[in-house]
Amino acid sequence: MTDLSVSTTSPSAAIPQKSLPEAAPKVTARSLNFYYGEHHALKNINLTLGTNRVTAFIGPSGCGKSTLLRIFNRMYDLYPGQRATGQLMLDQTNILDPKLDLNLLRARIGMVFQKPTPFPMTIYENIAFGIRLYEKISKSEMDGRVEKALRGGALWNEVKDKLNASGLSLSGGQQQRLCIARTVAVRPEVILFDEPCSALDPISTAKVEELIQELSEDYTIAIVTHNMQQAARVSDKTAFMYLGELIEFDDTSKIFTSPSDRRTQDYITGRFG
Amino acid sequence: MAVQSDVMAASGPYDRARALSAFKLGDITFYWITRACAISVLLILGGIILSLIAGAWPAMKEYGFSFLWTQRWAPSADPPVLGALGPIYGTLITSVIAMMIAIPVGIGIAIFLTELCPQWLRRPIGIAIELLAGIPSIIYGMWGFFVLGPFLANTFQPFMIRVFDGVPVLGAIFAGPPSYLSLFNAALILAIMVLPFITAISVDVFKTVPPVLKEAAYGVGCTTWEVVRNVVIPYTRVGVIGGIMLALGRALGETMAVTFIIGNSFRISSSIFAPGTTISAAIASEFAESDGLHQSGLILLGLLLFVLTFIVLACARLMLMRLERKAGN
Repeated sequence: MTDLSVSTTSPSAAIPQKSLPEAAPKVTARSLNFYYGEHHALKNINLTLGTNRVTAFIGPSGCGKSTLLRIFNRMYDLYPGQRATGQLMLDQTNILDPKLDLNLLRARIGMVFQKPTPFPMTIYENIAFGIRLYEKISKSEMDGRVEKALRGGALWNEVKDKLNASGLSLSGGQQQRLCIARTVAVRPEVILFDEPCSALDPISTAKVEELIQELSEDYTIAIVTHNMQQAARVSDKTAFMYLGELIEFDDTSKIFTSPSDRRTQDYITGRFG
Repeated sequence: MAVQSDVMAASGPYDRARALSAFKLGDITFYWITRACAISVLLILGGIILSLIAGAWPAMKEYGFSFLWTQRWAPSADPPVLGALGPIYGTLITSVIAMMIAIPVGIGIAIFLTELCPQWLRRPIGIAIELLAGIPSIIYGMWGFFVLGPFLANTFQPFMIRVFDGVPVLGAIFAGPPSYLSLFNAALILAIMVLPFITAISVDVFKTVPPVLKEAAYGVGCTTWEVVRNVVIPYTRVGVIGGIMLALGRALGETMAVTFIIGNSFRISSSIFAPGTTISAAIASEFAESDGLHQSGLILLGLLLFVLTFIVLACARLMLMRLERKAGN
């Protein structure tokens, strides 16, 4: 029965009541358009991710939320026929610059996917792998970094005795936190979450949400979610997208209490989508 | 509604039981047919082994284990002297050289095709690889005889001799009089022949890597090479090694092309540009005019090839098991 007191203090209860002060812009999109071949998937997107803020993207399937996320780290570059126009800045860097070093960009903007994607190696190596791409450090220093990252991913206590087990041997929720730890280990500035909890059970979801809140102290976060409560719980700002357009972008508390657009209202109250 | 469901419930159990028992009969038949198919494989395999042992028995009794390390092969001497060291050496050397060439090239092609190749070039290269697999081995043999042999003897070998002149071990490997027919010629042809196996299987298994896993690796900032080395190949290594073993099996047993270009010499030379022979080439070139102990010796060679291939496959299994354990599964 002592559990009750715990549940009342869980982050799920904490809907931000008043808006935070405006944060310095980290990622800025100006008249951003995106095309899958001929298909015009994103239309004239303008928005700003504030430094150390959590921005949630909501909207029905196919509205372009994930597409937008995949522009932030140029993931679309892997596939021919996909292109973006307009302006997208990470601080002073033009993300859309064709000459940009993509590996460096992706070190600055990490990504966590819908399905957990542990690499086919040990838990330790899953973390050390990313670090090794950028830094030459000694074994003991690496041990420290791996532990720090796993603590950052709220996973250390569960895996500290089996660091040499395969990353694939963990449960789904643990795998997802491993992927978050792996992303954090590279020390990015921005972390993109693409429906990070859609494959997880409620307990794992709560852990990941808690983690996202903690991470927002050090990182700028963008999260795509289909779960409206989740958007309300974890984010400072929320963007509602529909059919490739950004319909409304405002403080989360405002979006969920008094949206200014009719379509936002319909979506959050479950009338469509 | 209620009446209808009552009727169904009443007639249900009887019909159901009969329908199920019909299924059961089908299931049993199906089980026995598939089982018979599976067992027939064991019977055929056992039959082949038994007949090989029976045929090889006279030679085994005559030469015993010394057959394995005797180099001399003189079937027309009285009594005939038969030793398998030459063919065993030739088989292993040509296969090893062939794999040393075919594995990196084959996997390289597969990586290019799946990760780097522009879309319009994929089909032409893919089709070319398939055609390479479809060329009959005798054509490879002729090509090796008329084109590759002269090139190796007149151009490549003199070049290698000049480069490695005086170098202790390598000098001996490339030394010797030029010959159109040589172990290296055979190895090169074998490499070309097994290349499509390695490439085709590698391409297939590389395609099974989930795109999101690759994206995750690119997402932490990997280059294409790092993604391939650390994600694609570890994820697919069982399949890739399977392809390599299939290729090695083919290289060990390939007969026609090799018989054409290896020179059929039972003498072991330190040079890879000297003529040699393999187990299958020796059997193919001598079996028709052999009898008595000579023929039994050739059958014993065949049995050895069988054992050799079995050992290779067993080693591959062992290696895979150790890799799995290392990966922490």
